[in-house]
Amino acid sequence: MDWYIFVYPVILLAIVLVFVMYAIYFERKVIGWIQLRKGPTETGPKGLFQSAADVFKLLIKEDIIPSKADRPLFKLAPILAYVPAFSVLAVIPFTDAPYLKFSNVAVGLMYYLALSSITVMGVLLGGWASNNKYSLLGGMRAGAQMISYEIPLVLSVVGVVMSAGSLNLTEIVETQIAGAWNVFPQFLGFVVFIIAAIAELNRTPFDLPEAESELVAGYHTEYTGFRFAFFMLAEYTYVFAMASLITILFFGGWDAPFGLTFIPPLVWFILKFCCFVFLLFWLRATFPRLRGDQLMEFAWKGLLPLAIINIFVSALLKEVPFLSQYF
Amino acid sequence: MLGLFKGMGITLKNMTKPKVTLGYPHEPIKMPDRFRGIQHFDPEKCIVCNQCARICPTNCISLTGKKHPDPNKRGKIINTYDINFEICILCDLCTEVCPTEAIIMTNRYELATYSREALLKDMKWLHANDQMIRQDNISSKPKRGGK
Repeated sequence: MDWYIFVYPVILLAIVLVFVMYAIYFERKVIGWIQLRKGPTETGPKGLFQSAADVFKLLIKEDIIPSKADRPLFKLAPILAYVPAFSVLAVIPFTDAPYLKFSNVAVGLMYYLALSSITVMGVLLGGWASNNKYSLLGGMRAGAQMISYEIPLVLSVVGVVMSAGSLNLTEIVETQIAGAWNVFPQFLGFVVFIIAAIAELNRTPFDLPEAESELVAGYHTEYTGFRFAFFMLAEYTYVFAMASLITILFFGGWDAPFGLTFIPPLVWFILKFCCFVFLLFWLRATFPRLRGDQLMEFAWKGLLPLAIINIFVSALLKEVPFLSQYF
Repeated sequence: MLGLFKGMGITLKNMTKPKVTLGYPHEPIKMPDRFRGIQHFDPEKCIVCNQCARICPTNCISLTGKKHPDPNKRGKIINTYDINFEICILCDLCTEVCPTEAIIMTNRYELATYSREALLKDMKWLHANDQMIRQDNISSKPKRGGK
């Protein structure tokens, strides 16, 4: 047992927490700019301490559990939502340097997708244990949505897995460095993946589980203080994880484009990562929310066939002489 | 489909446009000259005619006069003059009715305080409130008149 097995995850946790804080700050700023406002400016220089103040407020709040709630499940739900969100980061290779990835699991992609669906349980459980109709509705919606979109999400990466011939995320990146970034040959898969990923993250335009105009707040209506903070943290940790995964699967991970290798691979990774995070905020400020029936129809009748077509097309093109180097 | 990308283009362009919000507590909002703000009172001009107290719709003005110290002069001079800003509606009637423009409006509007007592403003305070006075009511300046 080496000491860094315990120290590195703690460092990663700190990085994730700082990311979450400044992702929220940046989100509010970007949405502010788009709506011709300034966003937070008051707390600290340029409002930089705004999220820290918000988190501090949450932590000192009274911890309220409704008297009719199912106490053990109510307490378990935020933990069940957050733990998978953080543990999926274990398989993300940030660069090819050995100290910047935690475990080189052979089925890393599968581990990620399998574990990330446990969070639905936390959300559903939180909604049910609150003993509140809005929470239950939000939880049910979240469960239905996340399970529906899990399928196109998984099927859309099959093309990537076929071209790499591996479920290991490091190997997937190395195939892209040798060939082309998957976003070009697997464009259809990329489009399906990004839409399904946004739906998995419960973000606008797919934020039905937290539709505040219909459901008060959704599955976390009854949660306050640090339990609520944990649900929020899980959501933004998934933004971190999903942005990393998209960078790895479709944008060549730490690969430097145009031969710009003097910029370190970690910086390339962070740049691509930030582009996706910005895209999420941009979409949130642009699009309205989908209707419930549109949401389900879109997943089963739109994304699922497209994902299956993508699998067949990439399997076919793998056999075409010239194109096979990209698939 | 195309509409989605059009919308995204609009929001992206919006990011660099000038902001419509004001930095209010840090930068004061400039009001137009005819704004009805907190009154300024000039005891020198007041002839204690009581018109302002009579016209006030909320009865927030209370004033007392005293005999002119110079026995050869007729009339009164002002002794106390209070406006209760708890009930004052800044309707501008007192300044309209004042024959000598002893009470006039300013462009100031910040009246938030921590106690009700602080809203009872006396003659001294109203006299000291001499910034941003309505330009039309400064008697040394020529009247704009109807053109």
